[in-house]
Amino acid sequence: MNATVIDDGVGPAPAVGQAVPRTTDHRFEFSGDAREYFRIWIVNLALGIVTLGIYSAWAKVRTQRYFYANTRVAGAPFDYQAQPLAILKGRLIALVLFGGYALAGQFDVRVQLALALLIALLAPWLVVRGAAFRARYSAWRGINFRFVPDYKQAYIRYLALYLFVPFTLGLLYPFVKAKQKAFLVEQHRYGGVPFRFTATPGDFYPSYLAAFACGFIWSMLLSFVMVGAIGRHVSVDGTPPPMLVYGFPLLMYAGYFVIFAFLNASISNLVYNAVRLDNHRLHSTLRGSKLLWIYASNTLAILASIGMLIPWAMIRLARYRAECLTLLQAGDLDAFVATAQTDVDATGAEMDSVFDIDIGL
Amino acid sequence: MNARRALYFDGRSSRAHAVEAVIDGGELALHGDGVARREPLSALRITARLGRTPRTIAFADGAQLVLDDADDLDAAFASADRVQSWVDRIERRWRSVALAAAISVATGVLLLQFGVPWAAERIARRMPAAVEAGLGRSVLDQLDRWAFEPSTLPPARREALAQRFADLLEPGEDASVRIAFRHAPKIGANAFALPGGTIVFTDQLVALVGDEREFLAVAAHELGHERHRHTLRQALQGSAVAVLAALFAGDVSSAGSVVVAVPTFLLDGHYSRAFESEADEAAFATLVAHGISPRWFATIMRKLEAEASDTTELPYLSSHPPTAGRIARAEGLADGFEAALPAQHAAVH
Repeated sequence: MNATVIDDGVGPAPAVGQAVPRTTDHRFEFSGDAREYFRIWIVNLALGIVTLGIYSAWAKVRTQRYFYANTRVAGAPFDYQAQPLAILKGRLIALVLFGGYALAGQFDVRVQLALALLIALLAPWLVVRGAAFRARYSAWRGINFRFVPDYKQAYIRYLALYLFVPFTLGLLYPFVKAKQKAFLVEQHRYGGVPFRFTATPGDFYPSYLAAFACGFIWSMLLSFVMVGAIGRHVSVDGTPPPMLVYGFPLLMYAGYFVIFAFLNASISNLVYNAVRLDNHRLHSTLRGSKLLWIYASNTLAILASIGMLIPWAMIRLARYRAECLTLLQAGDLDAFVATAQTDVDATGAEMDSVFDIDIGL
Repeated sequence: MNARRALYFDGRSSRAHAVEAVIDGGELALHGDGVARREPLSALRITARLGRTPRTIAFADGAQLVLDDADDLDAAFASADRVQSWVDRIERRWRSVALAAAISVATGVLLLQFGVPWAAERIARRMPAAVEAGLGRSVLDQLDRWAFEPSTLPPARREALAQRFADLLEPGEDASVRIAFRHAPKIGANAFALPGGTIVFTDQLVALVGDEREFLAVAAHELGHERHRHTLRQALQGSAVAVLAALFAGDVSSAGSVVVAVPTFLLDGHYSRAFESEADEAAFATLVAHGISPRWFATIMRKLEAEASDTTELPYLSSHPPTAGRIARAEGLADGFEAALPAQHAAVH
C-alpha cells in the first residue's frame, strides 16, 4: 500500500516496501484569498440585511466552508457540511431566548440577574452542544469528526471549578483552563479514534503566571507614572489634564493587548503540541510578536476602513495560524474508519455564538 | 469531457485514492488507484460553488469525490443548490459586489444616523417612570461616591436659585424635576441632567455665575436635556451601537473589544453633539418665553470656556458642539430678542 499518494511533497519520497511506521511532516496550508473572500463577505452582509437576517444562516455556512475548504493538510482539504436550514432553526431559537433575556433585563434587575445565572448554568451544556455540532459537520478525507458529550465533566470543568477560583486569588485559573482544553481535545474522535491530550495543568502555569506578572508590573508602572504626572500637571482646581484621563486607560489597554497576544500564542502552541491521534501529533510554532503585529495591524486596518478590511484581516490571521501548524504523521493516515453518526441539532451551537461563549481550542 | 484529477474517498476509511474522473453521457466515471466506479449523475449531489474552493461530489453510499472547481460542473449536476448557485453568480460579478457594498454601507449609515436615535427615543418615551428614576438614583449614588461632596453653598443661596429655577418649569413639572447642588472639585464647573428628573449643579458652576440669569440659562439648557430624556437616550444609543458593532465585527474576536469600543466612543460624541444642540434650542425658547435674553447663555458659555481652556488639552474630544458656534447662535437670537425689547436688556452689554 502506498501511504503517501497524496503527500504534499514536504515529506520524503515513498519507498515501496519501506518499514512502517515512518514519520512524515505535513504542513497545514491555507489558500484563502482576501479579494475573493471580500466578495463572499460583502454579499453575505448585503443579503443578510435585505432578508432581515434570515440569510445569515447561509452566510455562516459559506463563510465556514470557505475557511475549511481552503485549509489543507496532507493534500486533503477540510470540509464543513452543516446545512443552512439547521443553522437557521438554531439561530431563531437562540434569538428568541436572547431577545427575551435582553427585554426582561430592561425592566427588572432581579430578572436580569436570574437570567444571567440561568445562562451561567446553561454554559457547560452549550459548550458540549456547540462542540458536538461543529465536530459532527466537520470532515477530512471523507471521514467526520465527532465530539462525545460528557455533561458531568462539562459541568465540573466549565462551572464548578470556577467557583473555587476566587478563593485561590486566581491561582486556580490556569488549572481550570488546562482542564477545559483537555476536555475539549479528549472528547473529540476522528474515525472512531479518540484524541489524546498530553499536557498537564502544570504546563499551563508558566505562561499564565508570566502573563499575570507582566499585567501586574505594567499596572504598577503606569500607576507610578500617572501619580507623578498628576503631581506636576494638575491645575488649581484639582482637575487632571485630559491627556492623562484618556491616555492612561489607552496605555493600560495597550499593555494588556500585548500580553494577550503573547499568552494566546504560547497557550495555542502548548495545546496543539499536546494533541495526539494514534501516534500522529500536531506541531505549532506561533510567535507572540508576529501574532501581536497581526492583531494590531488588523485592528487599525479595520477601524480605518470602517470595517471593509475585515475579510482581509480574517484571511491573514487564518493564513498565519495555518502556516504555523504541522501534522507530524507517525504511521498510517489511511486507517481511520467511519463510524455511525446521528444528526446533531444546531440550537446549542447557535446559542453559544449568540451568547459569545468562547470554546475555541 | 476531459479527465480530471480528483481524490476519491470511499466513506469508510480515510484512505485517499488519486483517481481520474470523467463526466460523460450523464454519468460520472472514476478509475485509477484501485478504484473503478461509474454512477449516473442524477444519483450524486455536489456541494455549492464557492470561490475557487474544491467541490465535493457525494455518492449515495457515503463515498466522496473531491475535485478542483470548474465552470462546467454546475451545468452537469441538476442537483446543485439553487440559492447558493444564484449567490455564487452574484459574488462573481463586480457590479453586484459593488451594489452589495453600497447596500451595506448605506444601511450602516442610515441605521446609525436615524435608526438608532429613532428607536432610542421611542424606547425612552415608553420607559416606566420608576425604572428611569431608579436609574437616575443609581447614577447619582455613583457620582456621590466618587466625584461629589456635599454642597458648601449657603443654604439661602441654594434656596434662592432653586426658587428662580422653579419659575422656569411648566405647570405640573415640579413633581418630576428636582434640582441639587454638589461640591465637585474633581469635575469643576458643570451641570448634569440625570434620568428621572434630577438636575445637578456643581458649586463650581454657581461660583462662576454673576447675574442669576446666567444660572437660569444653564438651567434651561439642562431642563431641555431633561424634557427630551437625553441622558437615557444617550445610554440606549450607546448600547445599541455596541451591539451593532459587535454583530458586524463579531468574527474578528481577537481585537474585538477595540474594534467595538472605538466606533462606540466616536459615535457617542456624535450623538451627544446632536443632543447638545437640541438642548440649546430648547433653552433659548424657554429663556425667551420667560423674558430672559439668550445673551445670558452666551456670557456664561464664555466663562465656562475660559475656565475649561485652563485644563482641556484635547478640545475636540469634548462632547459639546464647538462653543463658538453655540455662542454665536445665542447672540444671534439675543440680538433679535433685544431689538424687540431694547430698554429692558441694555444692562447686558
